[in-house]
Amino acid sequence: MNSLSDGPRAEAITVVLVEDDAPTLWRLQDALAKAGYQVRAAGTLAEARACLAQGAPKVLLTDLQLPDGHGVDLIRETRRRFPDTEIMVISILGDEESVISAITVGATGYLLKDAFPTDIAATVRDLVAGHSPISASIARFIVRRTQSTPEPPPGPVLNTTKLTPREIDILWGIAKGFSYAEIASHLGLSRQTVPGHIKSIYRKLEVHTRGEAVFEAVQQGLIKL
Amino acid sequence: MNDHGDDVQPELPGRARRRLRSSRLIQYLLLQAVIAVAGVAVLLQSLPGPPAQYQVTAFQLTEAGAERAVTLPYFSPLRNAMNDPPRFRGHFVRPAGEASRAWSVFLPRFTNGVEVTVNDVVILDSRRDPAANRPDRNTPAIAVIPASVLRDGDNAISIRLFIWGPITGFLDRIWVGPDEALRPTYNLRTLVFVTLPVVFSSWQAILAVILGIMWVMRRHEPAYGVLAAAMAVGVGQAFLQTPMGETPFSRFNVILISSAPIESALVLVFALLLSGWKWQRYAWIIFIPGIALALAGLFGNQALVRALFLILAVPMVGISLLIMAVVTARSALQRQNVASFLLGCAVTIMLTCWIVDLLSVFQMMPNRIFTARLSYSAMLVAIGAGLTWRFARALNQVDGFAGRLVTQVREAEEKLKASFAREEERARAAALARERTRLMRDLHDGLGGQLVSIVALSERGNGSAGIGDAARAALKDLRLVIDSMDDIGGDLMLALGSWRERAMAQLRPHDIALDWRAVTAQGLPVHPELRPWHVIQIVRLLDEAVTNAVKHAEARRITVRIETLAGADGLKRGCITVEDDGKGFEITPDGGAAGAAKAARGLRNMRSRAARCGAELELSSCAQGAHKGTRVRLTLPHRFPDSDGAAG
Repeated sequence: MNSLSDGPRAEAITVVLVEDDAPTLWRLQDALAKAGYQVRAAGTLAEARACLAQGAPKVLLTDLQLPDGHGVDLIRETRRRFPDTEIMVISILGDEESVISAITVGATGYLLKDAFPTDIAATVRDLVAGHSPISASIARFIVRRTQSTPEPPPGPVLNTTKLTPREIDILWGIAKGFSYAEIASHLGLSRQTVPGHIKSIYRKLEVHTRGEAVFEAVQQGLIKL
Repeated sequence: MNDHGDDVQPELPGRARRRLRSSRLIQYLLLQAVIAVAGVAVLLQSLPGPPAQYQVTAFQLTEAGAERAVTLPYFSPLRNAMNDPPRFRGHFVRPAGEASRAWSVFLPRFTNGVEVTVNDVVILDSRRDPAANRPDRNTPAIAVIPASVLRDGDNAISIRLFIWGPITGFLDRIWVGPDEALRPTYNLRTLVFVTLPVVFSSWQAILAVILGIMWVMRRHEPAYGVLAAAMAVGVGQAFLQTPMGETPFSRFNVILISSAPIESALVLVFALLLSGWKWQRYAWIIFIPGIALALAGLFGNQALVRALFLILAVPMVGISLLIMAVVTARSALQRQNVASFLLGCAVTIMLTCWIVDLLSVFQMMPNRIFTARLSYSAMLVAIGAGLTWRFARALNQVDGFAGRLVTQVREAEEKLKASFAREEERARAAALARERTRLMRDLHDGLGGQLVSIVALSERGNGSAGIGDAARAALKDLRLVIDSMDDIGGDLMLALGSWRERAMAQLRPHDIALDWRAVTAQGLPVHPELRPWHVIQIVRLLDEAVTNAVKHAEARRITVRIETLAGADGLKRGCITVEDDGKGFEITPDGGAAGAAKAARGLRNMRSRAARCGAELELSSCAQGAHKGTRVRLTLPHRFPDSDGAAG
């Protein structure tokens, strides 16, 4: 809550903010600037690429529907060029359709567009500290995909085979509304390790490495499709 | 399961099984030996005779031109003596004073026929009685001597013994005396040797019909057909008589003599088939003796037939019995079933009787009573009992099978129903998910973005915080609608997880702490019947409780307790309690809130939402004291209603 006092530390943190709706862009920019972040704003994919050309930001916040392209492409590019940049998607509803598609290309969380300014700053701060945010509905979506069903459920494709049973347990806890502390005590973990697990879950859901491997294999004729 | 109990061999190691089998074999053989010994002992018992004082045994025999004194019983060496039959001449004395009583001559046993003359008057010629003509039957004869023929004192009796094969002639002791003294013995012999065989032959006729029907209905079981044929042959042999003298039919009658080998061959085939043997072509040799005898009867003369009878029919019967004894013994030991066991005992009895008969033919027995045919009745009884046993067992098996089938069909039906319901449920969930995805995209692209813009604009304008709040509330509700449409598999905890996040986001700006306590480990029971509209009602109800606490109660802390309680009826019910430490309010007697009309409407809304889900809502509020604050307690139903409870 007291993010303003973190000013000196936050000053060095650069945030690239990509949002095509001007009022929304302003309020997010205000919230972040007030928290002391150095914000570079962009309204289109082209502007965003120009911002990124200036150098690697610490944080990339991007909307998905942009006038000249899709945020997913921006996330994928950024992930490849700046592996240390933390990426979050800005979502209106926090629905799995947008959030999961962003996660599978390298985002590690989402931000609601109508979040209160303090929450916006706090979420970015947590992200920089290595705490990837996850919502109950996203956790629910992921764990339900770990359960085998005869036919693929609707919605974005998600490969959950890399998740460990412990990570799935953590996701169940989040989906049922338990706090990190409650989950940690149920599973016999240290409370501090839970956010790290969540980041690891996001990384495992990233699809590009695997997809590229398959692409390579197909190219070399190792796999016939 | 126990229907097959007698077919199941216990799992035993080879040695133990061998030992068990040999011990069973010894037991079986011992039992058969006991039966055989008992049979011989019974056969050696002579039948009771009339008073010995009326017995006439000393005779003067004229045979083949020679005359000598003999004592009855007499075995003649002749096989055929029709033109010059042996003549027995003897005397008996009728005491004075017996004239008022009728006197009779009683001949208990003779082969083949007799002509009795008293004082030169013929009083009996057995050749006129077809039943008495058969050497295989022990038919007795009795004749009342006309009073005019008899005289006090010495009387002459002369018996001519006609012999026509196939065995040698025989004349047992005879009795001459008062009729009432002789008649009981005669009646006894008639009962045993004439009436009883007729009864058994009737039984055989019934069996023939039953087995014939069974074979007609079950063509794949030829054993029944074969046995029916055997029974039919037996019946024919018993009821078709063979009168003496040449009639146009006597040639056909002669065929009847072949009935014994044919019948025994048929019964043998039946026993083999019953023991699991498959019919082979070479098995026709079983019927050769019978057919040969029948052909001899048709084309040869009677003497030939009778000669062949001894060398074909008698051994055939014996061989059949021996094979049957072995087959039924094996069957009884291997299958351990009652039918084979009974048949085995019957075969032993018959075999014993056959051997004794053979001995008596060769004059190695003191008498000549043939019992093989009679003992055949034992076999018929065994066959009848065995068939009934098999029939009853088959019926039991059918009942058991039908029962199992009914159970299996029911199980399959239930499985099918369940899988159908599952499939339906899955299809419904998939349709819902698709619809939700579509709705989400629409809302995301349109309404959602516009609402966010309103929020942003209102914040910039500063003066229109109300608009921003309203837009934010609209967004929150939009997320609730989307969220509640997600398939949560009946686990309300998954919906509450999202609600907790939204509630925390709502409470954070107001500095109100949310204390979340899942009291029972798994939280709330899983409700497979839970539908999106139930979830919306419950979450909105909880939202209302939280909003009331924020807006009216000035609470600092809200506690949400989630637990599963076992009700008085033993059913588990979920319970969600929202409690604040605010200022509370007065509850009017009708359950509404005293005070603002808006608050009252809020409470009414909550009640109506609870009622629609079949849940119980309990409101308590306290304005003062240590426990001040408001408590909303929602007890979920054991089963959520299918249709909207408030619609009616």
